[in-house]
Amino acid sequence: MKKVINFVLLAASLSAGFATTASANELDKLLEQVKADRISEAKLDKKREAEFLAARADKQALLNKAKKDLADQNARNDRLTKEYAANEITLAQKEVELDNAQGTLGEMFGVSRAAAASAYGSISTSIVSAQYPGRGESLNRIANSKEIPALEDLEELWFSLQTEMTESGKVAQFSTEVTNLDGSKSTENVTRIGTFNIVSDNGFLNYNDEVGQVQPLAKQPAGYISGTAADFFSVSSGFAPVYVDPSRGAILALETRKKTLEEFYHQGGTVGYAITVLLILGFLIALERFIVLGAVTSKMKTQQKNLAQPNENNPLGRLLKVYQENKGVDAETLELKLDEAILRETPSVDRGINLIKMFAAIAPLMGLLGTVIGMILTFQTITLFGTGDPKIMAGNISLALVTTALGLIAALPLILIHSVVAGKSKAVLHKLDEQSAGLIAAIAEKESK
Amino acid sequence: MLFLIELVESVRSFIATGGNVLYFVAVALLLMWILMIERYWFLASNYPTMRDDIIKRWDARADTTSWYAHRIRDTWISEATELLERNMLTIKTLVAMCPLIGLLGTVTGMISVFETMAQQGTGNPRLMAAGISMATIPTMAGMVAALSGVFFSTRLDAKVKLAKAKLVDSLPHH
Repeated sequence: MKKVINFVLLAASLSAGFATTASANELDKLLEQVKADRISEAKLDKKREAEFLAARADKQALLNKAKKDLADQNARNDRLTKEYAANEITLAQKEVELDNAQGTLGEMFGVSRAAAASAYGSISTSIVSAQYPGRGESLNRIANSKEIPALEDLEELWFSLQTEMTESGKVAQFSTEVTNLDGSKSTENVTRIGTFNIVSDNGFLNYNDEVGQVQPLAKQPAGYISGTAADFFSVSSGFAPVYVDPSRGAILALETRKKTLEEFYHQGGTVGYAITVLLILGFLIALERFIVLGAVTSKMKTQQKNLAQPNENNPLGRLLKVYQENKGVDAETLELKLDEAILRETPSVDRGINLIKMFAAIAPLMGLLGTVIGMILTFQTITLFGTGDPKIMAGNISLALVTTALGLIAALPLILIHSVVAGKSKAVLHKLDEQSAGLIAAIAEKESK
Repeated sequence: MLFLIELVESVRSFIATGGNVLYFVAVALLLMWILMIERYWFLASNYPTMRDDIIKRWDARADTTSWYAHRIRDTWISEATELLERNMLTIKTLVAMCPLIGLLGTVTGMISVFETMAQQGTGNPRLMAAGISMATIPTMAGMVAALSGVFFSTRLDAKVKLAKAKLVDSLPHH
């Protein structure tokens, strides 16, 4: 093992001595080159140093210039500050001069501004603005401007107030753009009544000051009110009565939310319709009774004038017939025969009259049923939504009451009509029951003489 | 003249606070009183002559006991009763209807109260007060109308019954 290591060391030292002798020439060259480089680098350094020195001089010049500028600006600042102070003094002097020049007028400008502000409130919402648009803007400008109002502005204020005043006393007709409920726009002739209402041939219109549009009401008030508006619109001369809303639209707006009678009726629902059917049935029965009983009464009257010839077309005639057929029998038998005949006639006379009475009794009961149903709905609503909002509850309660009202409305005429029809049928029955025997007795007496 | 205008104005304001149902009460009351006054008039002026005429005819008859005479007497009494009792049923019906009309006013008034509540909420009791007066005034008016009728119609009924009984007694079988 030792032999191997010695051999290797020997070989290595041999090879190193060999390499040194081979590169001696190249090292000389390198030395030469380093020398040459050292000279050229020194030159370069010199040059750079010279450049730096030159630049330093330039920077110094720049610094000097900047310093000079700062001094200049400072000087300007001083000058301007002085100038500003001087101007302030002048301004104060001028303001005093202005105040002196205005004298008492200053107060007037304040008043005019306040007047413009208050006029803006009433004029921009006034329906006169539908006829003369754009009056509000100039007033708003006067009210909000910080400057002394110009003469034109003052004139504008005066003119606006005067226009409003004059126009509020006038009934004027003019053409304007109307924004319909479906959003379409059309130009229509409308009539303005003072500062209260705008009407057209379709009834009342509304001036929406927020968008500056003339719009028809969402729902016209009751026919007799809106009818006067349309009539008033079509009148060309003289005087015509018309409903005017003195609150400038507030009452009309409430009016649009009011339910019509028809809407109330439909609130009654199924129970309401059933009550209506009862009422109509009752009326029809009563009508039939009126016609039949009227005919019977008149026929019996003609028969009474002509007792000798009994006519089969009326109850009295049929009774007389019974008498004529049983002339020979004794009084008692005759009475029995007559009673029998009267019993036959009775049902056809008082038929249906009790039905009317029953309907009159049922109608309020059905109204009560509707009330109970409505109350059940109300309590269901309370279960769902609580009692917080009286509006939700009140809707169902008014629904419940409508059926009660309908029941009463149906019952009242039925009661009255029943009493009239019952009176009529009673009269006929009286005639048959109590008076026919007497008539026959009178005839018999006459014949026996 | 001024007195009349004031009267009309007070009636108008009464109806304005009570609602339109008062018109129905007024019509029922008017009809009731027209019919009742007509009855009083008939009992006071027409009926006595009619009655005397019947009694005279009956007294003139030779035969008053036979079956025929009985029937004829019944007929005359029935005819007189019919005239005496004419419209009495209608008068009674109208008397009974007056409170019902008042009740109708109550219901419509309450509907308007709840309608106001549904629209405006319960914030302003003044708005509801209009409906409440529309509910109570017709009830009162209906009651007053019925009361005014009840007394006189009962008296009238008694008068008619008395007149009928007297007539029956005045036609003896002799």
